[in-house]
Amino acid sequence: MITVKDLHKHFGHIKAVNGITEHIHPGEKVVIIGPSGCGKSTFLRCLNLLEQPTSGDIWLQNERITDPKCKVDTLRQRMGMVFQRFNLFPHMTIRQNITLAPIRLKLMSEEEANDNATRLLERVGLPEKADVWPAQLSGGQQQRIAIVRALAMNPMVMLFDEPTSALDPEMVGEVLEVMRELAHEGMTMIVVTHEMGFAREIGNRVLFMDEGCIVEQAPPAQLFDDPQNPRTQSFLSKVL
Amino acid sequence: MFDNFGQQLYNNFILFDRWQLYLSGLGNTLLITFGAALIGIVLGSLVAICKVYARDNPKLKPLDIICDIYLTVIRGTPMMVQVMIFGFIIFATVSFSKMVYVAMLAFGINSGAYVAEIVRAGIQSIDIGQTEAGRSLGLTKNMTMRYIILPQAIRNILPALGNEAIVLLKETAIVGYIAISDLTYQATLIRSRTFSPAPLLIIAVAYLALVMLMTVGLRFMERKLAQSDHR
Repeated sequence: MITVKDLHKHFGHIKAVNGITEHIHPGEKVVIIGPSGCGKSTFLRCLNLLEQPTSGDIWLQNERITDPKCKVDTLRQRMGMVFQRFNLFPHMTIRQNITLAPIRLKLMSEEEANDNATRLLERVGLPEKADVWPAQLSGGQQQRIAIVRALAMNPMVMLFDEPTSALDPEMVGEVLEVMRELAHEGMTMIVVTHEMGFAREIGNRVLFMDEGCIVEQAPPAQLFDDPQNPRTQSFLSKVL
Repeated sequence: MFDNFGQQLYNNFILFDRWQLYLSGLGNTLLITFGAALIGIVLGSLVAICKVYARDNPKLKPLDIICDIYLTVIRGTPMMVQVMIFGFIIFATVSFSKMVYVAMLAFGINSGAYVAEIVRAGIQSIDIGQTEAGRSLGLTKNMTMRYIILPQAIRNILPALGNEAIVLLKETAIVGYIAISDLTYQATLIRSRTFSPAPLLIIAVAYLALVMLMTVGLRFMERKLAQSDHR
């Protein structure tokens, strides 16, 4: 579904992403782990062009999205993204947060979008929060809404950029639960995370990144229990 | 000077229906202020958005330079000089009855420069994550600006914009220099007949009342826009 070929992203002389070639299949759940500053978030953000790659190519299905002629906005409609800091729109109610893009992009009528929002809110167990402000919700609730907001666009792939890193420990579970359900429904997911247990549970494949490169990748059981690369070993020994 | 103040007030306000002069002056003052505020907000927002867009689009560099020249020239010269340049040079041939619109334009262009910087600061005060969230949903740059960034920015800068509107109202007191009969000009005229301090005091109270009214209005708007803060 997503093909990445020799992707580079440099900030000045810092090589955040330094030559990644990768293929992600439909329905696959890919988890990216690695030490902070290893380029995993930058890599993820390159996939929907929030960061413009310095060089290299990315295809979404058969479309080369790194082509300057590619319509970035329509591309992003097909790729949902969830951020570490939730980034809900504080001046809009929860319902408005969810329906803004589908309505403004004329993908749904206001009525359809509202129905869709209600259905999605029920799915994440927050139907009674439709008309409150983001500031009235806990971090965990805000992040679940952020996931719903992305899902409201019916994306074909979801990108998660450390979705639980800004949460209090007791709220991590509720967000992971939503992601777990999403995974079981067959959504293609690319998740940057520090939640190793979660990576092991839902990941089809775990990529370990260091210094802008994918150092090692394997199914979670193999990567966590029997890492081959010394850098993977040293990282895992610190976090597990 | 203040003996029989009541009599002076009568002479300078009631006698010969002088209150009508104040009233017509007040009309012009308000007309110029509101017109200029409108022009200022539109112009200022446009300039601010141009400057923000130009930050990450090299093609807009020329536009950015034009905006910079505008800001520098307008903020670098006295308002009074600008009004006179507008009235006596650029629009010297405009008929006397239209002069009030010239003043409106001059004040609007002047105010726009200050509003631009306020709006720019407001836009830049919004977390970049908001833009990224909007864009990641597939919203265009303009939609993100219009539905996500500007509403939050306006809320943050409302006190500063209100300040600018208050300054604008009081600055219009100089339009008498291009012979527009605003509140201050009328007071000066009446004073030249009566030699009394009363007209100045009367218009001082009038300005004060207007500013207080604006302050109340702004407070109301601030409260209205702050409703999403409630927890």
